[in-house]
Amino acid sequence: MKSKRDFTGFLVSMPGILWLTVFFLIPYIIIIIYSFLTSGIYGGVELPFTLEAYSKMLINAGYWQILWRTVWISMIATLICVGLGLPAAYFIATSKHRNMFLTLVIIPFWTNFLVRIFGWMVILGRNGVINSFLQLLGLKEPLNLMYTPGAVILVIVYMYLPYMILPLYSAIEKFDFRLIEAAMDLGAKRTQAIWKVLIPSIRGGIGAGVILVFIPALGSYAIPDLVGGADGAMLGNLIARQLTVARNWPSSSAISMIFLLISTLGLLVYLRINKVQSKRRVQVGETYMKEEED
Amino acid sequence: MKRAAIFLFLVLLAVLSLGKGNLILYGWSDYIPEEVIENFSKEYDVRVTYDTYDSNETMFAKLKAGARGYDLAMPSADYTSIMIKENMLLKIDISKIDNLVNIDPDIIAQMYYDPNNEYSIPYMVGTTGIAVNTLYLKDYPKSWEIFQIPQLRGKMTLLDDMREVFGAALKYLGYSVNTTDETQLREAKNLILEWKKNIAKFDNELFAKGVISGEFWVVQGYGENIFYEATEEELENIDFFIPQEGSTMWIDSFVILKGARNIDNAHLFINYILRPEVSAKISDYLLLPSPNVPARELMEEEPVYTAQEMENTELIKDLGRDLRLYNDLWNEIRFGL
Repeated sequence: MKSKRDFTGFLVSMPGILWLTVFFLIPYIIIIIYSFLTSGIYGGVELPFTLEAYSKMLINAGYWQILWRTVWISMIATLICVGLGLPAAYFIATSKHRNMFLTLVIIPFWTNFLVRIFGWMVILGRNGVINSFLQLLGLKEPLNLMYTPGAVILVIVYMYLPYMILPLYSAIEKFDFRLIEAAMDLGAKRTQAIWKVLIPSIRGGIGAGVILVFIPALGSYAIPDLVGGADGAMLGNLIARQLTVARNWPSSSAISMIFLLISTLGLLVYLRINKVQSKRRVQVGETYMKEEED
Repeated sequence: MKRAAIFLFLVLLAVLSLGKGNLILYGWSDYIPEEVIENFSKEYDVRVTYDTYDSNETMFAKLKAGARGYDLAMPSADYTSIMIKENMLLKIDISKIDNLVNIDPDIIAQMYYDPNNEYSIPYMVGTTGIAVNTLYLKDYPKSWEIFQIPQLRGKMTLLDDMREVFGAALKYLGYSVNTTDETQLREAKNLILEWKKNIAKFDNELFAKGVISGEFWVVQGYGENIFYEATEEELENIDFFIPQEGSTMWIDSFVILKGARNIDNAHLFINYILRPEVSAKISDYLLLPSPNVPARELMEEEPVYTAQEMENTELIKDLGRDLRLYNDLWNEIRFGL
């Protein structure tokens, strides 16, 4: 009986597994192999196998700088998203019009990603909305808002904020708000109750949001390309450049592998947090049951 | 019943479009006027799909990585040469391109990589220059030196194109744009690093819109992209010039790609573009000097620079293995690698 059900489950999951194998696993294996090959003059890869792509990257401080810039930009953007997303999600989850607010969060997705970046360029530009307004107020020289790391962080936050709000919302929505009342009855202040009761119990949602924002932010390509300055390149731009202009496919593949490594590390941390949390939940449940029995 | 009717209609549509010839073109953005493509479409009953790229490198990488289905591409000289060497092109049947006689023999003489036009037929020839928005900037040197003016910091862009930026710096220093001398290239690199401090960004996509709107005051770029984008009124405030030290020259040609399915239509299209009246129309759009001798008489607009003014420009050539040196230095400039 059980084995039959297992078999059906296997059949049902086959298309998904096949999809991931063909479109995810195999391409990654190709990238891994390419990263160990020699680059041809006009692109492409040649034998023999070599570690050159990696060794060049290790000894070159420039790569580490770009890697570092990519990580800190993504981290700051993610932190800002948490800071903005938490109150927003809390507000939506406790509002009477939550469906309307959720729709509002999703509406930006109806517009193309690039068009929205261009929208920001119109706002931040030298003759843009902000500068024109400031000039009306008497500012003489327009501010350089575009082509700075700040502009890149701003647009990343704007693009990925919904990915933070939605998991936070679904976590907060499931939260039993009587627990906050209980905490306050037991003498906690409202802020204490939120920090000590609400935040720990929606940790899974925060983790999911952080992963959903941090990993795509790491892979930003169009945003630093369009609103970043002469020194604004991130890892994604470097991968593209090595592939096209430099025609160095192994180097491009090696950088992709580093990228994969960082995102996998992020995921592992997330899974670990989640595991600890679900274990604790089971424990809490067990003690609760025991108390019931008593 | 209604559904069946819709289905039949769709089938009919599919059959009709199958009956029509196709041509799939992979070309530079804003480069062939829509009107020209539409007229060709009507005359020969061929449906043209125009997919675009913004740098030779992008186009090459995509094709090299195995993109299929395109019939025509339009690489610049250095990439035409690479694509011939890499065996990525089909031979063109010149007997079908009888309008080739219209092309200026001086231009064909420059095509050292394909002297008999076996693989490539020139579309446009031009130079890379500097455009200034004169609404914001009145007094400026007509020289690459402009990128050294600290007062213009943050208001200028250079192309995100290794050969173009090195070409500019090398010309400013009085060297060939195809030099492989390491000392000269290092000197150029140091100069570009100076320029880099003053530019907002390296940009291939937005320089035209940027200089027209005043977002940027000075941009290195291709004149035709700017003229294609700007209205007559806006053009009055744009000064496009070839710096006095000279600049790079490019020849963009049509090539037929291996794996092309519509080879006959590709020949028809190339031959159509080389008609004097069509070529004149294109040059009028792009405000470029026409490579097509009889078309020069037919042009209604004054090109922004003439074929004579291009004397001080030098064709960017493929450097093969020596390109590594450029690459390494460019990586240092661009990414600090």
